[in-house]
Amino acid sequence: MPNPEDRGAVGVTRNGLDTMAERLARHLAGRSSRRSALARLGGWAAAIPAFPLLPVWRRDARAAAPAAPSPFAAKAQAKDDTKCDYWRYCAIDGNLCTTCGGGVHSCPPGTHPSPTSWIGTCFNPQDRRAYLIAYRDCCGQDACNEQNCLGTDGDLPTYRPQANNDIIWCFGTGSLLYNCSTAVIVGTAE
Amino acid sequence: MLADRRSRVARRISRSLAVASVLTAIAAHGPAHAAEPILQTEESDIVTLPPGGPHRVLVEDGVYRHSKDGRVYVVDLDTGRLLGMVQAAYNANMVADPAGKAFYVAETTWERGNRGKRHDILAAYDPRTLEQVADIDLPGRALITPKKPDMAIGADGHYVYVYDSSPTNAVHVYDTGLKSVVRTVDVPGCGLIFPWGNAGFSSICGDGSLANVQMDAKGAPTLTRTPPFFVPDRDPVFEHSPEVAASGHVWFISYSGLIYETTLGAQSSVAKPWSIQEAAGLKAASDTRAPFEVTWRPGGWQLAALRARDSHLFVLMHKGTFWTHKDAGSELWELDLKTHRLVRRIPLAARSMMVGVTQDAQSRIMLTDEAGDLMVLDGADGKPVRKIGALGDALIFTAAPGE
Repeated sequence: MPNPEDRGAVGVTRNGLDTMAERLARHLAGRSSRRSALARLGGWAAAIPAFPLLPVWRRDARAAAPAAPSPFAAKAQAKDDTKCDYWRYCAIDGNLCTTCGGGVHSCPPGTHPSPTSWIGTCFNPQDRRAYLIAYRDCCGQDACNEQNCLGTDGDLPTYRPQANNDIIWCFGTGSLLYNCSTAVIVGTAE
Repeated sequence: MLADRRSRVARRISRSLAVASVLTAIAAHGPAHAAEPILQTEESDIVTLPPGGPHRVLVEDGVYRHSKDGRVYVVDLDTGRLLGMVQAAYNANMVADPAGKAFYVAETTWERGNRGKRHDILAAYDPRTLEQVADIDLPGRALITPKKPDMAIGADGHYVYVYDSSPTNAVHVYDTGLKSVVRTVDVPGCGLIFPWGNAGFSSICGDGSLANVQMDAKGAPTLTRTPPFFVPDRDPVFEHSPEVAASGHVWFISYSGLIYETTLGAQSSVAKPWSIQEAAGLKAASDTRAPFEVTWRPGGWQLAALRARDSHLFVLMHKGTFWTHKDAGSELWELDLKTHRLVRRIPLAARSMMVGVTQDAQSRIMLTDEAGDLMVLDGADGKPVRKIGALGDALIFTAAPGE
C-alpha cells in the first residue's frame, strides 16, 4: 500500500506546478494583447514563404519519396552517423563532427559553428522523406582529421556557391580554420 | 687420437692464418689511412638551383590532414628529387610566370596561429633561390579547397589575378611590376578566373554564361556577358577545365563528359560541344536527368591536362553514376582535340585525383594516389617512368613550365 503521506507530497508538487503555470499564463495574458499575438503569427506567416528562397536543390525536392532519388540515397543507412553512408551526408565534404568530439548537429568543444552554410537535400531511407540539410562547419581549430567523407549529391562548382561543398563555410566565426562538418536538419523538402 | 691431433693442427694453422690476415690488413691500410687528408672545415651555405628545364614542375600539396600547413614543392621529374619547397598556408593557390621568371603563392594565415588578425598574402618567389621577391597583403581571398582557376596570371606575366568571394565576388588585380594590388574588379554572380591576353580574364557565372573582363592601359575594366552555354543544374562544367592561357583557349569539360571548346575574349565564343564517350566509341553519358546510369565519366580534382603542342587532352575517367564527379580516375584517356578522337586509354596502377602534363617534346604525365606519391609517366605512350614516393600528403594540382 502506498503511503498516503507520500501521495500528498506528490500532490503538493503538482499543485505547485499548476500554480506556476497559472501564474505564467496570467502574466503573459496581462502583458500581451490579441493584436500582438496576431502580429507574431503574421511574422511567422511572412517568414514561411521566404523559406523556399533558401538555396535548395529543387530537382531533388520534386523527386523526393518514395523512391531513392540518387545513387547515394539508394545505398544510404539511417543508423550510424559516424559513417560516410549515413543518409544526411549525401553532400558532405570533410571531417564528420560525430567523430571529432561533436555530434551530427553539435560542434566539438573548442570550435564554433558557422552561422552560414550551404543546404543540400538528402533522402532518409527510414521514413522515405527528403530533408533539407544545412552543412554547417565547425571552425577555429585545424582539421580534426578523423572520419573524412565526400558526398557529392547535388554538389555544383563554386560558381554556384549555394550548392558547393568546397567552400570553407566558416564565415562569421572567429577564424575561418575548418575543423569538421555537421549535418543539421532544417526542414523537409517536400 | 689421430683425429684429435689432426684437429689441433688444423686449429693452429687457422689461428696463424687469422693473425697473418690481420697483420696484412694493418700493413695495407695503416699507412694509406695516415696519408688521407683530414676533412676540411665547412661553411653553411644555401643552394641556388640551376636554371630549370621543362621537367621542373611545381606541385601544390593541400595537406588536408592539417590544411593550415599547405606547401608548394619544386620537383625535378627526371631525377625524382624534391628541389625545395615554400609554405602555402591554408587553401593556398599558386601560379607560375609564363616565362619562368617567378611564381606566386596566395595564402592565408592568422597572427596567433589559429586565431588573431587574419592575413591574406600574396608572395612572389624567385624560382632558383625560392626567396621572396615580393610579399604583400591582399584585400582578401576566397577560402575554398584550392582550385587552380581561383588564381591566374596574364600571358605576359604583368598581372596576377586572385579570386575573392567575401563580401562579394571579385577579382583582385596584382601588378607584378608595381608589386601591389592595383584594382579589384567585381564579377557579380560569377566565379573563377580564366585569363586571356595580357589584361583580360573570364569568369563562369551561375546561370551558365561567361563574364568577360578586359582592362585598358590604365587598368580600367569593361565587362561583357555571353549568353548561357550550359545548364548548371543539369550538367555543369568542371572548374578544373584546362586552358592555354596565352591564347585564351579553354576546353570546358562537363560532369557528363561534354567538351565545349571556347575562345575567350571580350566576345568569348563557344563551339558546339562533343562527347568524350562518343569519341571513344561509346554512348554519350547521361546528365542529372538520369543519375543512375553507370558509364565512364570524367572525375577527380585537377582531372584534366592539356598538351598544347599537339592539342592532346588527358582526362581522368572512372566508371560510375552521375554525381561521381569527384571520384578518382582509374584510367587516363588521351584525346585529340582537333579530330575529337580517342588516342589511347591508359589504365592506371592506382586511382588518381590529379593529372598534369609537361609541354615539351619528351613530355611527362604526372599522377598521384592516396598515399601522396607522384607518379611520372611517359607522355608519348603512357608507360611508367618513375614513382616519387610519398612526395606529400594531398597533391592537388601542378604547374609545368609554359602551360
